[in-house]
Amino acid sequence: MNPDDLKYHKEHTWIKVSGRKATVGITDYAQNALGDIVYIDLPEVDMDFEINSEIGEIESTKATSSIIAPLTGRVIEVNEDLSESPEIINEDPYGKGWIAILEIDDISELDDMMDSSEYEKYVEEEAK
Amino acid sequence: MKLAILGAGPGGYVAAIKAAQLGAQVTVIEETEVGGTCLNWGCIPTKSLAASSEMLAKLRQSEDFGIELKGEIIPNLSKIIERKNKIVNTQVKGIRGLFKSWGITLKEGRGVLQSPSEIEVTLKDGSKETTTADKIIIATGSRPSQIPAFPFDGDRIISSNDAINLTDIPKSLLIVGAGVIGCEFACIFKELGSEVSIIEMLPRAVATEDIEISEQLERELKKKKIKLYTNVKVEKVDVKDDGVHAWLTDGKETVAEKTLVSIGRAFNSNGIGLERIGINKDIRGEIIVNEKMETNVPGIYAIGDVIGGLLLAHVASKEGITAAKNVMGGDERIDYSVVPAGIFTSPEIGSVGLREHQAAEKGIKVRTGHFQFRTLAKAHIMGEISGFFKIVSEETTDRILGVHIIGPHASDLIHEAAIAIKKGLKTKDIAETIHAHPTLSEGLMEAADDVHGEAIHIIKR
Repeated sequence: MNPDDLKYHKEHTWIKVSGRKATVGITDYAQNALGDIVYIDLPEVDMDFEINSEIGEIESTKATSSIIAPLTGRVIEVNEDLSESPEIINEDPYGKGWIAILEIDDISELDDMMDSSEYEKYVEEEAK
Repeated sequence: MKLAILGAGPGGYVAAIKAAQLGAQVTVIEETEVGGTCLNWGCIPTKSLAASSEMLAKLRQSEDFGIELKGEIIPNLSKIIERKNKIVNTQVKGIRGLFKSWGITLKEGRGVLQSPSEIEVTLKDGSKETTTADKIIIATGSRPSQIPAFPFDGDRIISSNDAINLTDIPKSLLIVGAGVIGCEFACIFKELGSEVSIIEMLPRAVATEDIEISEQLERELKKKKIKLYTNVKVEKVDVKDDGVHAWLTDGKETVAEKTLVSIGRAFNSNGIGLERIGINKDIRGEIIVNEKMETNVPGIYAIGDVIGGLLLAHVASKEGITAAKNVMGGDERIDYSVVPAGIFTSPEIGSVGLREHQAAEKGIKVRTGHFQFRTLAKAHIMGEISGFFKIVSEETTDRILGVHIIGPHASDLIHEAAIAIKKGLKTKDIAETIHAHPTLSEGLMEAADDVHGEAIHIIKR
């Protein structure tokens, strides 16, 4: 169910790497756990951030939840469509629901991320 | 006891009634209208406008509630103002009626102190007369601050006094100052359909509140597409054909149909004879009083906005009661330790007691508890799920020091906390009290439990 060409972070974000750029979003598991998303506080373009730091926040009808950076880098683009229609994340978390494009600072951080089957196991463990 | 009171706002009129109840022969001198700023230009008009904009927001949400509306929903500002005027007039009549029932004389005109026992009143027809009194309470209030950079013209560059009487919804509105007044008007006019931007020189909106409250309000403004620029000043404004241009300290230039300047309040302490009888004023013009509301001149008291401090109607009223009792021989002292306050933004803010950062500044070790409105069934039923409850308590004693609420009905919800703080209650006292279900009040109980990590409706961390 989780696409194979993506890498996954323990705080339930995914990235799609293309050279030194990575598109980031939240996983299907995360959007499901949150429920109907009503607002997203997007990161700002040009913002520098550290791995595991908060780069934004998502509000659903159930909870508010931080978006945790899966790697260190800089924001180079954000998905402005989400500010009008944050529900896109619920509908298409791996596609139109992407959140931002990041410039990767340290490519070696990718080694610590999970592939789809590892992430699925990780989620199963969390659900127990 | 003959008592004269200068000003019939929420300080002066309450003092008048209290003193009359205690047996004084009271004369109140009012230049504009009974009820003062609060009733005629402040609290009541703005909340009336806010109620109309909330109605509009509700109607726009109607489909979520399973109600289909046919046709367009159109706010008509002149009718909204008509409704506001009706509400104000009813309240004005109410105060006049109370005065009559207590035998209070109302002189409508401008009063100027001649001596510690005489006030010269210029009546509306221009004639003059002198009121004599054994004691005097000064309750002349405040007005919107004006600085040369923003000359009010009542049309393009306006104050809050003008904003409550606009009859056409401006296409765009620039608000200078993201304090209580600026943020309230921002929410009202945005809902009515204006493009709204706010410029604030401080780092955050409603800067006197708890930092987390400011952050949440800023997010709510962002959700409404109200643009807020903090840490920026307006250097200059200029009225041109295409609107009011404003130049900001960060080099930007903005254009808006109207500019609302809400940068604070100035004290009405000039031209009322204070110098003649030697009443001491502070550097910004506020009258200096002690805890008994006495000025330095025996027999002369001052209350309300004109003494500075907390410029709140309910504080003025309490000061009025304190002064009235002391005029009648009492020994009352004002207690500002517990002052709840409401901000009527959308969503509302209610706060009382210490902010978390204030506790830190005082070196008090605290615990905090939070609870989100969106966790409450009642909030979902109402369709208003944004916001949270926050409790600040003393780590060693568990006593509640401050409560900060942003969310629906926050200004009403805050009073449970006010009593708790006033009576020195602990978070356990609130947590262990059964709260009715389903209500918004459950949120304070859960926040109290969260102080000890024991809230029921928060997932395990």
